[in-house]
Amino acid sequence: MTQHKNWLLFKVYLFAGTFTFSGGMAMLPVIERELCVKHQLIERQTLYEYTTLSQTFPGVIALTNACFIGKKINGTSGMLAAGFGAILPAFVLMSAATGLYQSLPQQGVILSILAAIRAASAAFLFSAAYSLARYNLRDVTTILLAVGCFLLTLFNLVSAPLLIIAAGVVGILTTLFKTGAKS
Amino acid sequence: MIAIILAFLKIGFLGFGGGYAMLSLIYQEAEQFGMTVPQFADLNALDGLIPGPIAINSATYVGQLYGGLSTALAATLAVSVPSLIIVPLYLHFEKKLNANRLFNSIISGIKPASVGLILAVAVSLAGVIIFGGSDFKHWQFIGIDWTSILVMGLILFLDLRYQLNPIWLLLIAGVIGGVSYYL
Repeated sequence: MTQHKNWLLFKVYLFAGTFTFSGGMAMLPVIERELCVKHQLIERQTLYEYTTLSQTFPGVIALTNACFIGKKINGTSGMLAAGFGAILPAFVLMSAATGLYQSLPQQGVILSILAAIRAASAAFLFSAAYSLARYNLRDVTTILLAVGCFLLTLFNLVSAPLLIIAAGVVGILTTLFKTGAKS
Repeated sequence: MIAIILAFLKIGFLGFGGGYAMLSLIYQEAEQFGMTVPQFADLNALDGLIPGPIAINSATYVGQLYGGLSTALAATLAVSVPSLIIVPLYLHFEKKLNANRLFNSIISGIKPASVGLILAVAVSLAGVIIFGGSDFKHWQFIGIDWTSILVMGLILFLDLRYQLNPIWLLLIAGVIGGVSYYL
């Protein structure tokens, strides 16, 4: 029975991983249908609770989510089965794609196509920054944090890891300050 | 290989707040692997084509380019380590401590910071693509690539205005690049 559960967890997360593009939890409804409705292995509320929680920890969010749900349903072996399922499609497909990419001759018309694709790639990053900004820049503190990190990284004044740690500390301090002000 | 494993461990543990935050860390570490700006742009484009978490895709890509399949696997496992450690640890202490609030306050600082970090990567990548050069830290003014400016503008517009699928956007960019070669 527990092996059956592991196999199911592996299959569900493998499927979710194969059809989720650019990260994110777009496949959550499928996971919910399989694990909560069809097989009734976990409460819907628990699934959503741990999905939200996954987003607050460091690491790969989709993998953290798979590990939480896998461990909740079937202990450590469930965690490994779900986690393995979550990363396997990305690894296999990306590895094949990188192999193909490496075999492309970087000249002539192909170079011209790649140059345009690289320009599109930069556009994706601007777009990602915009959507992140829309949801996360709400007050003076968050705007200052974003602008500060932008300038300090652009001119190579402070390294990104250091900025991330500093931003985490600012986050803790503002939370403390807010709860202090309330009480 | 060891350098890549250590780099992706670091990226995993500092990678709060999803794939794009990690991408800015990868951009900073990339130089140390010998990764060029075009290779980074191509990684981001492949992320749009290949399903799966950005961090897993990136680890596979960087590992494969600089050490082959075994390094790709090692890098993927390295970036997965935080999830595998945090999940059992959190579930074990779930009832005892209020880690949830702590991580929430950390992430409230890091999310806005990651807007600045990813915007800096976007500007720096766009600068290299438009003006030339291949150095991450110093731009070189070789000329202005008008095709790239056109593609970047068009793709950004289509992405923000119509939320087209990245696969279509990359296809459009590729066609423009191909046609521009023969003009």
